[in-house]
Amino acid sequence: MNKVILGRYIPGESVVHRLDPRSKLILSFFFIIVIFLANNWQSYTLLFLLTLSCVLLSKVNFGFFLKGVRPLIWLILFTVLLQIFFARGGTVYWQWGPLSLTSLGIINGSYVFCRFVLIIFMSTLLTLTTAPLEISDALESLMGPLKKFKVPVYEISLMLSIALRFVPTLMDETEKIMNAQRSRGVNFGEGNIVKQIKAVVPLLIPLFVSSFNRAEDLATAMEARGYRGGEGRTKYRIHFWKRNDTLACILFGLTMIVLLYLRNW
Amino acid sequence: MSIHFEKVNYIYQADTPFRHQALKNLTVSIPTGSYTAIIGHTGSGKSTLLQHLNGLLKPSSGSVTVADKTITAVTKNKELGELRKHVGIVFQFPEAQLFEETVLKDIAFAPKNFGKTPAEAEQIAREMALLVGLPEEVLQNSPFELSGGQMRRVAIAGILAMKPDVLVLDEPTAGLDPKGRHEIMQMFAQLHSQKQLTIVLVTHQMDDVANYADHAIVLEKGEVIASTSPQEVFKDPQWLLKHHLALPKATRFAYELQQTGKVVFEKMPLTEKELAASLVDLLGKGGN
Repeated sequence: MNKVILGRYIPGESVVHRLDPRSKLILSFFFIIVIFLANNWQSYTLLFLLTLSCVLLSKVNFGFFLKGVRPLIWLILFTVLLQIFFARGGTVYWQWGPLSLTSLGIINGSYVFCRFVLIIFMSTLLTLTTAPLEISDALESLMGPLKKFKVPVYEISLMLSIALRFVPTLMDETEKIMNAQRSRGVNFGEGNIVKQIKAVVPLLIPLFVSSFNRAEDLATAMEARGYRGGEGRTKYRIHFWKRNDTLACILFGLTMIVLLYLRNW
Repeated sequence: MSIHFEKVNYIYQADTPFRHQALKNLTVSIPTGSYTAIIGHTGSGKSTLLQHLNGLLKPSSGSVTVADKTITAVTKNKELGELRKHVGIVFQFPEAQLFEETVLKDIAFAPKNFGKTPAEAEQIAREMALLVGLPEEVLQNSPFELSGGQMRRVAIAGILAMKPDVLVLDEPTAGLDPKGRHEIMQMFAQLHSQKQLTIVLVTHQMDDVANYADHAIVLEKGEVIASTSPQEVFKDPQWLLKHHLALPKATRFAYELQQTGKVVFEKMPLTEKELAASLVDLLGKGGN
């Protein structure tokens, strides 16, 4: 369970770490959309340069990004191979039944590969440099306008921050219960599929029960401390939009303009 | 079941920035049939050490030998099933492991996993429920309806039902009231003396160490700094202070009494009984 890199936060003091979480969130989404505009090698080179400079600025060990790609490598390979063998057009190098190897297929395949890697790098960068609570703060602030449409923004963000807070606690709890049941002779992840599913029951039931208990305790504790719902509360963590955030937005905006110029229309 | 740790190192999350070495070149033995207490400051590696006893964790280097089974970094999980039958671990707040519909089924869960027939397992479960002092009428109830103390008993019975040769207890009385605490500790002491169980107790309660244990292992930052009798461990208050440990109540009282300069204890009492006996002795001799 400790091998999951996606969604993990590494504390640091770099420029990227200190950006406003709202700008990081907006820019990550913006970047993912922009990726789909790229359609030749010049534009992809540009995006790679941008991504790599962000990664360098964050001062996070590059190995983490490679580890972020690793769990998805089969999905990536599958999609790339599908593209390579089924896309038609351009020079045909080899053909067998419905399968064919064409220049267009190879180009499309490599584009799909680039897109995957860029998206994973950027989203890994977002989660590695932004604490989970900052992300939920940012979401709350960005969803603010939705309040006009009767979306319960405050409640959603409260649930989100509680959920994020309890992810590590629940992971620890899972580990503890797994160990306790292993000591009682349960073998997790062994035997045929029926056995494996049966082995999960002694893990799931205690987890649910403890989650119910935890929820009850938490609700009581919140009420005891004067929680009456979202209306009229003040905030402790306030984020400020700084000069660097504006600079980052300008950088990304410029990149998009250059990309629109480089792209094959 | 003798247990021996030979130069055991254990590293959490090796090869990441979160790398943490919990055990450092640890060599120690737990004698067969002993009541061994493992003490140490929070984060000294006690829990890591006890998970090595039944192969939940495997040493990063070095080896752990339990009876005739040697566990090293390359030991396969499949080979550890047999070992887990012999070493029962009662984890901290073990009531979190209950899941079956009835108390009886939950206690019978472990023996069934280790190859007993349902009838045999139920028979064992009834015996164990009696042993830990659960009333007959709760056996068909759901474990989630019970009180905290009774849930703890069910969980402990569930481990005892494996009939382990080594019983490992990680703060078994944490969060219990004084009565429940006393009853449970008495029960373990009885198991130890009647069934010659080897007991390994991880605790912060120095009184429990003084009252029950006959061997004590002191850990600090993943290293063994003492493996000896409780008498020896509690001999030097300065040394204990230096390693962030406390004295048992009776011993602390005796030291404070001795500091007044009016009495000199020949042998430091560890328990209230010993304290009373030596005080009676001193009074008899006509001291102050």
